Amino acid sequence: MLRLRFHGRGGQGAKVASRVLGTAAFLDGYNAQDFPLYGAEKRGAPITAFTRISRENIMERGVISEPDIVIVMDETLLSDPQAMPLSGLKKGGIIFVNTPNSPLETKERYNIADHVITLDITKISLDMIGNPVLSGLAAAVASRIVGIGEDAFRGAVEKELSGIISDRELLVKNTEAALYCYNAIMPVQIKTAESIREGENVITIPFEIALVSSPAINATGNTPLRRTGNWRVFRPVWDYEVCTRCMTCVARCPDGCIHVNEDGYPYADYDNCKGCLICVEECPAKAINKVREMHSRSGEGDR
Amino acid sequence: MDTATIRSIRELPAEENMLPGTPACAGCGGLLTLRHCLKALGEKIVIVNAAGCFTLLSIYPFTPFKNSWLYTAMACAPAGAQGVRDALDILIKKGKIEPEEDLKVVVLTGDGSAYDMALSSTSGAIYRNLDFYYICYDNEAYGNTGFQHSGATPFASRTATTPPGRTRPVGSQLQKKNLFDIWNSHRPPYLATISPAYPVDLMNKFRKAEQFKGPKLFISHTPCPPGWGFDPSNSVRLAKLSVETGLWPLKESVHGKVEHTFVPKKFKPVEDYLKEQEKFAHLFKPVRQEDTLKSMQEMVNGYWRRYKLLP
Repeated sequence: MLRLRFHGRGGQGAKVASRVLGTAAFLDGYNAQDFPLYGAEKRGAPITAFTRISRENIMERGVISEPDIVIVMDETLLSDPQAMPLSGLKKGGIIFVNTPNSPLETKERYNIADHVITLDITKISLDMIGNPVLSGLAAAVASRIVGIGEDAFRGAVEKELSGIISDRELLVKNTEAALYCYNAIMPVQIKTAESIREGENVITIPFEIALVSSPAINATGNTPLRRTGNWRVFRPVWDYEVCTRCMTCVARCPDGCIHVNEDGYPYADYDNCKGCLICVEECPAKAINKVREMHSRSGEGDR
Repeated sequence: MDTATIRSIRELPAEENMLPGTPACAGCGGLLTLRHCLKALGEKIVIVNAAGCFTLLSIYPFTPFKNSWLYTAMACAPAGAQGVRDALDILIKKGKIEPEEDLKVVVLTGDGSAYDMALSSTSGAIYRNLDFYYICYDNEAYGNTGFQHSGATPFASRTATTPPGRTRPVGSQLQKKNLFDIWNSHRPPYLATISPAYPVDLMNKFRKAEQFKGPKLFISHTPCPPGWGFDPSNSVRLAKLSVETGLWPLKESVHGKVEHTFVPKKFKPVEDYLKEQEKFAHLFKPVRQEDTLKSMQEMVNGYWRRYKLLP
């Protein structure tokens, strides 16, 4: 049995990706199981979804804590303590990372010992679809890695996405971009140890008193520590030659991430700006540009 | 609180009483409304939050607020507010806290709570003339759980539970409840509709409400990027369009007497607003549902005609 775990951010399509992969495996003659982990998700929050593929009947249930393959649809999740996409990965397992960097660079940057495959599927989706929607593309990568046939994969993408996308043209673009990704990845030999769970494996969760299960928050105003800046696909960048200091962007930011310097010019708190780009849309002087985020992360404080 | 009216966004208070880093979606219209409301209300408040999207704002160990925050079930935030108000009054009366340390009690709920589940507890609170604020962020469905139909869902909206299909191509067949009129029938001291795209109007309404003791109620129309299906960058544009097309009238009511605070000089066609959203896409594709579109425009015209404000 192959166990895959998808890590993405809400809105990127991790849940649908696991679904497309499951359907593709089924159409290719395997047994398959796919499901997301539900929590209090919001757009941008870390999301996990799972797919099991096997020639035999799949009796295993529940979340996959020891995957053979991990599909990381957002590079910033690798350093997110809430997501921890590499946790439990089997020895000899495979990690796919959506990044413009090479596998070697990625291995070094995140200190990964296992087999890393990379492809900038965000760029492909922006170029070919026009939106950073990665469901079909991530499923394509995963399907190719596990060795699912192209016909089965194409059938799965069309079946699953046609239920979500009503626009025929957009559906075709999604399928084309997905197949492009499918063919951009080399299939690999997966050599993880098959660990079969033996005997009873019932997990019991001890009773928690309310003080433990819903503790009081005694701090005030500490959400900036969460650093939602890594949600961004694009960052807003001000052109101060054009900016008229009208304060529109400051008034329009839902998160209050735009501050004003001593000279009255606005600047963004990139640590927490989620990249909604309302400021770009609303600026009457068109002084704000959107720039593709490359997430060089940490220590960024452009003022 | 400063009660002078303001004229432009440059006069909005600079203090932020809600910090960034919340789990709310990028481009959340409700969050923008809340940010401006909290600028108006200041730090000395207690928020009583019914279950909904904004429950997620405070998740252990994080909170974006400088003020206290209490979480209740969906139906009972106004009842929770009564308890908090009573406790503060008793503490002041007993001399345990100084009158200057008093806090404003602010109920914060989504439309699922305000329009449906908490309707009776809100009615009770207004009836008892409870001294509190109510902020409803209305994104026209149960957004937190995947956009299911609520009493605030407008006619013809696609939701998770009213998908347009062969037998019912329209989507939701029910009309949005008129919560403003329901609340207004109680004749509260102050009631207003607000919009995140009109922060000056919002700020002035809060400043006006300040003078009244008793219920001060606000309903904000709040664009929801994932639920309505549009790019987050268009959140404010859609909030503006809903006002400019006449779908979301900006108005206030003092002791039951209604006045519009903003009347568009020229109303944009409702279609301009509808066609921007995936939740109304079925009205245009694959077949244009002409009769439905016409009836929606007629509903809006009818509203403004009733107030004799249609040019």
